Amino acid sequence: MESQAISMKGNLDEQHDLSRARAAPAPTVSRETRGQTVGELRSQSARMRCTGVNVFYGEKHAVKNVNIDLGNNEVLAMIGPSGCGKTTFLRCLNRMNDTVSGCRVTGEIVMDGKDINARGVDVVPLRAQVSMVFQKPNPFPKSIWENVAFGPRIHGLAQNKVELDEIVVNSLQRAGLWNEVKDRLHEPGTGLSGGQQQRLCIARSIAVHPEVILMDEPCSALDPIATARIEELIDELRENYTICIVTHSMQQAARVSQRTAYFHLGDLIEVGDTKQIFTRPQHQLTEDYITGRFG
Amino acid sequence: MSNAAATSAAGGGAARRHVDIVMAGMARRRAAERRFRLYGRIAIGVGLFFLVVLFGSIVSNGYSAFWQTELRLDVKLDASQIDPQGGRDPAILGRADYGGIIKHRLREMFPEVHGRRDRIALYGLVSNGAAFELRARVLANPSLIGQTVSLWVPADDDVDMLMKGKIKRAGPEKDRRLKDNQLRWIDQLKADGRLEKRFNVNFFTRGDSRDPELAGIWGAAVGSFYTLIVTLLLSFPLGVAAAVYLEEFAPRNRWTDLIEVNINNLAAVPSIVFGLLGLAVFINFFGLPRSAPVVGGLVLTLMTLPTIIIASRAALKSVPPSIREAALGVGASPMQAMIYHVLPLAMPGMLTGTIIGMAQALGETAPLLMIGMVAFIADIPRGAFDPATVLPVQIYLWADSPERAYVERTSAAIMVLLAFLIAMNLFAVMMRKRFERRW
Ligand SMILES: Nc1ncnc2c1ncn2[C@@H]1O[C@H](COP(=O)(O)OP(=O)(O)OP(=O)(O)O)[C@@H](O)[C@H]1O
Ligand SMILES: [Mg+2]
Repeated sequence: MESQAISMKGNLDEQHDLSRARAAPAPTVSRETRGQTVGELRSQSARMRCTGVNVFYGEKHAVKNVNIDLGNNEVLAMIGPSGCGKTTFLRCLNRMNDTVSGCRVTGEIVMDGKDINARGVDVVPLRAQVSMVFQKPNPFPKSIWENVAFGPRIHGLAQNKVELDEIVVNSLQRAGLWNEVKDRLHEPGTGLSGGQQQRLCIARSIAVHPEVILMDEPCSALDPIATARIEELIDELRENYTICIVTHSMQQAARVSQRTAYFHLGDLIEVGDTKQIFTRPQHQLTEDYITGRFG
Repeated sequence: MSNAAATSAAGGGAARRHVDIVMAGMARRRAAERRFRLYGRIAIGVGLFFLVVLFGSIVSNGYSAFWQTELRLDVKLDASQIDPQGGRDPAILGRADYGGIIKHRLREMFPEVHGRRDRIALYGLVSNGAAFELRARVLANPSLIGQTVSLWVPADDDVDMLMKGKIKRAGPEKDRRLKDNQLRWIDQLKADGRLEKRFNVNFFTRGDSRDPELAGIWGAAVGSFYTLIVTLLLSFPLGVAAAVYLEEFAPRNRWTDLIEVNINNLAAVPSIVFGLLGLAVFINFFGLPRSAPVVGGLVLTLMTLPTIIIASRAALKSVPPSIREAALGVGASPMQAMIYHVLPLAMPGMLTGTIIGMAQALGETAPLLMIGMVAFIADIPRGAFDPATVLPVQIYLWADSPERAYVERTSAAIMVLLAFLIAMNLFAVMMRKRFERRW
């Protein structure tokens, strides 16, 4: 049996939290069944529709035949053991994998009626539309203000300095960083703590007013207060945007998302309503993962 | 309490604690560390020793060239001789026989000297440049005509060498450059306070000369300056653009691999080959002027390009990819990510590479010999198309000259070259400090 090298620290709490899962009826799909996703792949109003997405790193097949929708005004949580391809799949959604040499993506990802992988699609507007917060905080080695202002400035979103300032302040406020940095906007962003840097990166990506926001473990470096602020922000953003978040915290997935997808070794095992995934998973692997049983 | 002690004693007896194993190895590790530090110090010490020896020998040989023996003459500027018409016309003033005036004055100072041979020996104490200096004085200030002016003129290089103790007065007369009567006159002039070592302005303001006492480094310095400017203006933008394209935009395929291999090969090509190429292409084919800094600059550009490209690519490679991703992730175009984020971070490394390349170019001699920059050029070049020579070639030329006085000038020229290099490196360090950002 595949063993997952994942630290399940904090899993005990989750079991407590999700004790109802134990009472749920036994999954209808055994753990041996793979390659076919169970659950609700499609949503009523899809913002992005992925069909048969495969990703290869050279010979390595990192994401296998994934079919899934990202719904409008919906938060999709992606969970799964480390190395299962969550980041890789997320990076397909704004074609960040283009920058990785040796990485090949196949399949169709349709947004606004067009396949974003099609020939002739300009990735620049695509990435302005679908922006990304990376797993590791990566602020520019410039001032905090410059970090946030960069996106709006290159896209011409502000007519003048006043408008730009407004966007910067607003984005920092929404990312819950404003109070900590309002007196040091012109100090380097790299001088912030890890958690502050991550919030700066979130502020930077919401400053371009994207329509879809991809967040790769945005809260892994944050304390519970900052985490709560980000979760609030995600909830707030959901009213207008589509959000896809990768997380290792099942509580967080349960709190912020409407739908949850479970990945396992490159396969998308199960997708469905968050409540249902955590209470009545249909696949044995999903149940094993959310209840902390492995091996 | 006693219980715990008992357990730990029992535990200690049963098995070695890991920390004991660690401690047992510590002595060896510390020794290794000390040894390594010692090797490092020895290496640096040896390097410094040779540097000090090199600098010491150059400075001790060369410092004396910054002083030049000069002779004080009180010459009467006779209007009838210099400006017979009295029109103060520069053309006429310039044509007067200043050499004659100086010779006349020397005869006055040593009236006992008779005979052609002795007189020539007397005139030989003063540099040929004395007449030019007198002429320049008069042209600059015609009101001096009619007066007696006291002026310092350079003494001949042999007199200079004698004053500096570089040639001996002992030995048979026929083996000596300065004969007995000349030595007598020199002693007399010295006693009169008319012979003195003074700061050698000529060395810093003039071009090359056949007379060591008149030879200066300025012509070569200006030539080097123009050559390096041409090199810098061509090689920095070309090198950076090539590096950026290859590193950030070019597809990785067989062609770019081939280009990369060839750039590395180019860096290893002996510089004289670039000189031959320059001769064949720039001079013979394109018909650019021989001995000109522009051709030197072109040749040195070919030579420094690989250095700059390789250093710039390394600098670009060392920029963390997360910075590019961050920029691309908010929708920057590859060009914007490059200009706003990657290039500023890579700039210090690129500048370092450029300065190393330029320093190499400044010291390069061989390819410039091929394109004629080794010619004897006394004039200060006034542009990149004028014939010129450069500092290292000047050093080579002087080192090759037979006169004793060129020895110290060679070392002095090396000092000037080193000063240039140090200034360039300081500038590079300053630029790096300015551009450096931590992340
Ligand atoms: N640039 C790359 N080159 C080669 N293989 C890669 C590369 N990036 C990721 N992989 C491989 O692809 C698989 C999926 O990686 P991915 O980063 O998507 O995992 P993940 O689900 O995000 O894990 P984590 O939860 O630890 O972040 C892993 O097996 C990984 O080793
Ligand atoms: Mg990941």
